[in-house]
Amino acid sequence: MKQDEAMGKKEEEIDRSYREWEEGVVKPRIRKFDLKTSPTRFYTPRRDNGHGFLEKVGFPGQYPFTAGNQPFEYWQAFARDAARLGYRPDWGGSGRVGKYGGFGTPADYRDYLLKMHSMGRKGGPNIAFDLPTQCGYDSDSQYCAGEVGRVGVAIDTLEDFGIIYEAYTGEMDIDRVPSNFTINAPAAVIIAMYAVLAKKRGIPLERLEGTPQNDILKEFIARGTYIFPPGPSMRLFRDTCVFCTRSMPSLNINSIGGYHMREAGASRIQDLAFSLANGIAYVEAGLSGGLLVDEFAPKITFNAFGGSMEFYNEIALQRAARRMWAGIMKERFSAKNKRSMQIRQPITAHIGCISTTLNRPLNNLVRAVIGGMAAGMSGSIPGAFPPFDEPLGLGHSQEAVQLQIDATRIMIYEAKVADVCDPWAGSYFMENLTDETEEQALSELRKIDNMGGAVAAVENGYMAKAIARSAYERQKAIENQEEFIVGVNSFTEENEIEVMVNRVVEDTYDQELLQTAEQRQIRNLKAFKRKRSQRSLARALRDMKAKALDDHANLMPSLCDCVESSATLQEICDVLREVFGEAQPVKL
Amino acid sequence: MGRSIKDMIADMRSGDQRSLARMITAVENRTQGWVDIMKAVYPLAGSACVMGITGSPGAGKSTLTNRIAKDLVEAGMKVGIIAVDPSSPFTGGALLGDRLRMRDICTLDHVFIRSMATRGVLGGLCQAARDVTRILDASGKDVVLIETVGVGQDEIEVVRASDFVVLVTFPGQGDGIQVIKAGTMEIADLFVVNKADRDGADELLSEICAMLELSCSVRGEIPGVVKTSCITSEGIDDLMKLIYGFVARKRKEPGPAGEHVREEILDLMEREIFRTVRKSFLNNDALARGIDRIVKGKTDPYSVSFELIQAFLMQDEDISRGGTRHG
Amino acid sequence: MEQESRVRILIAKPGLDGHERGARVVAFGLRDEGFEVIYTGLRQTPEQIVRSAIQEDVSVIGLSILSGAHISLSRKVLDGLRENNAGDIMVLVGGIIPDKDIEALKGIGVAEVFTSGSRIKDIAGVIRQHMKSQ
Repeated sequence: MKQDEAMGKKEEEIDRSYREWEEGVVKPRIRKFDLKTSPTRFYTPRRDNGHGFLEKVGFPGQYPFTAGNQPFEYWQAFARDAARLGYRPDWGGSGRVGKYGGFGTPADYRDYLLKMHSMGRKGGPNIAFDLPTQCGYDSDSQYCAGEVGRVGVAIDTLEDFGIIYEAYTGEMDIDRVPSNFTINAPAAVIIAMYAVLAKKRGIPLERLEGTPQNDILKEFIARGTYIFPPGPSMRLFRDTCVFCTRSMPSLNINSIGGYHMREAGASRIQDLAFSLANGIAYVEAGLSGGLLVDEFAPKITFNAFGGSMEFYNEIALQRAARRMWAGIMKERFSAKNKRSMQIRQPITAHIGCISTTLNRPLNNLVRAVIGGMAAGMSGSIPGAFPPFDEPLGLGHSQEAVQLQIDATRIMIYEAKVADVCDPWAGSYFMENLTDETEEQALSELRKIDNMGGAVAAVENGYMAKAIARSAYERQKAIENQEEFIVGVNSFTEENEIEVMVNRVVEDTYDQELLQTAEQRQIRNLKAFKRKRSQRSLARALRDMKAKALDDHANLMPSLCDCVESSATLQEICDVLREVFGEAQPVKL
Repeated sequence: MGRSIKDMIADMRSGDQRSLARMITAVENRTQGWVDIMKAVYPLAGSACVMGITGSPGAGKSTLTNRIAKDLVEAGMKVGIIAVDPSSPFTGGALLGDRLRMRDICTLDHVFIRSMATRGVLGGLCQAARDVTRILDASGKDVVLIETVGVGQDEIEVVRASDFVVLVTFPGQGDGIQVIKAGTMEIADLFVVNKADRDGADELLSEICAMLELSCSVRGEIPGVVKTSCITSEGIDDLMKLIYGFVARKRKEPGPAGEHVREEILDLMEREIFRTVRKSFLNNDALARGIDRIVKGKTDPYSVSFELIQAFLMQDEDISRGGTRHG
Repeated sequence: MEQESRVRILIAKPGLDGHERGARVVAFGLRDEGFEVIYTGLRQTPEQIVRSAIQEDVSVIGLSILSGAHISLSRKVLDGLRENNAGDIMVLVGGIIPDKDIEALKGIGVAEVFTSGSRIKDIAGVIRQHMKSQ
């Protein structure tokens, strides 16, 4: 009791001193410079809302995970060995996952992968699909001229899918390495292909590992490669979620992208609130499929909340995100498994491609390091991302990639940035900022809840419009010099000094193959269609349509049947378009 | 406008979309010579069935318009679409986004879509829609659909330019029928409960039917009510039957009704008087002096405006020239 | 605000790429600069863009392209315009465009290229300059 009183007195004293300081020191200074508010903030023990350490921060690896998912991560356990061996991570890959990529026809990409493997660049397939595939069109569709095999590999059929995997046999068979599929709208079809491939190889499905992106909601909000309306799209998600959980329990179910929304213009708070709202919708979809929360929630993953230069705010975001998701899973969904409550994501804080500038591009290296520092101080690998020449649009040069990787190494090994878990824990300032971030995101989340959740907020266009507005506000702030970007809207010179290093951009892929891929893939598709059995195809599509019409049915077995019966991706999607309709763009 | 009006009209009638589009621009902008265009267009128009499609934002009007147009074209008709969106009252700019939902039909030879901003033209929007409709009509369109957001007075104005009005509603707006803006209910010839795949469609449908029962004694005929979904295609056939009914009625009774002509003349006069008045007072000394006197507290806006009208009517030459002198 | 004549601009994204940020920001910005912006959004074929531009009688087309297919897509739009006797419509391109391709784009008839970091005021300036020269 006495102690409480003493505490109370001390708090009152801090409050009084704060007010005196504000009135006597800050305000005169604000007036002196004719400002409206102070450009800085200062926090005292009384301004931290009396944060309860155990409840709101806790220990790394314990609820609510504010201080981190683990006391140390996998990479940290082997950091010294990695340094001694000169380990070089693959761009866009992590752990056993290979370099993110894809181009041309399946055979082109297979040959490329074989070449990489022979050079010791091993790792599971991390497949980028071309835009026709992402949009559910075959390579011969009228909408796809010029786009086949361009931003990824073209997949029209199970046969195509199998050709890529000819590069993965023996010690790299699909029960040995994980597969990542960066695809959303037709993710169910690709997952079906993966399952059928395993079946053909005689590999039990439960041994398949990997991550399909399978995050359709952010496609409506930010990335635009959607096919079906939101409702039916979520039914497809539900079916994949149930199928993966029951048949492929080692496969992650999806990867929820906050980063894509940030690149599309979302504010930090929108990123956080919308990502979590989407996460909630996915969990609800899994539950509606009859699953128990702890059966599948540990297999829901996230992809990088992050994407600004605001160092402190990005750290607070990571801390708030972990705490919020843990709370949501525990309170709202009564999860018991701690893995259900963790935000698992391959990278965390980073500046985002959107923060890089075309003017004075070498500055981007400095920027990326700041993002890496934020990551290292908020429970992740301090990765400098992206390479400085990202906005030049020519692919990354060897020089830029080396600078990027070295920057990361310097942060890890020389600066020892990640040697302390949650170094900001207990800082008056950071705890307060984390609370503020959480409060703002919760209020946005409540708004979405009141609309009926993420699916409703996608259907009525709320999230897409909100992001477009934020993007425009940001643009105006930059043009009006309310925000400053060095070397872009400020500190530019009449005669710019060009600071450059030599850049050698290797063509990742064979340009000749790229030029002819479309033609060759269409030819392959024609030949494929000639030789298949029409009868079993028609039956499979008919059965699948019947299942699609029955909202209670799980479509996955039918989709497996369709791809095995030689249906093309577009043939499957066309049947679903007929049943589900097509998504409409949001009118601004 | 390098080429003669006669040539442009001939090109437009032979299917040249550029000529059609340029004439619309000239008339919409009131570019010199616009009256001559309209005079030449008028005798060629009058047979197209003009339908206004209105309803609150989110009702799915564009998607439905797209669907109706597609079916009409498949039935062998030529369709013009005018999609109206508001201009910003501050900058005068506009974001016209209705084509987003009309991608299916925008490349069909028998479809012509034109987005139109309200441009804050006092009392002029209805006439602007009439003008554009008439040009589309003269170019050979069988049906002209005017799509507009049914929330502002401007938008309600637009549907006065149509032969028939389709009011699109949808379930899940909260207050059911209460949200249908007063004044739009009375003008509708056909009610569509769109997004029928959603919960609450049947309730909304029966609410509308009940309301129409109550009001049918005052109206001549009871408007149709139909429930549709562009996703499942539910009710689209029924909707199209009613639409074809409108087209047939227009064919039976072409030509303008006397009361409509009277309204149009008044609208045209109003717009021209407005334009002329605005233009002549743009840099007017008398007006400037009047303002000065009001600011100094010597007189009031009422006295000044009536004095100016008096003076203006004394030199009435501009209006009688049909506005053709204004660029 | 009464003004009868307004410059009309079509903003479109050709191809299947769905990254709409740039196109939307430019559409908002040009609206606020007082233009009438017709926004056709994602997944437009060059044919759809040409048709829309003609029907809407725009003076300017802005193409937003981030998929790397800027040269072939721009060429198709420009060819389509010329075939339809609408070669006078100014075509602007925005997106991630490498330096060496900017000249190539101008070579085939693109009036100006705006890469990341461009200002809306500058885009509006180019359009106003073009309208003056008409």
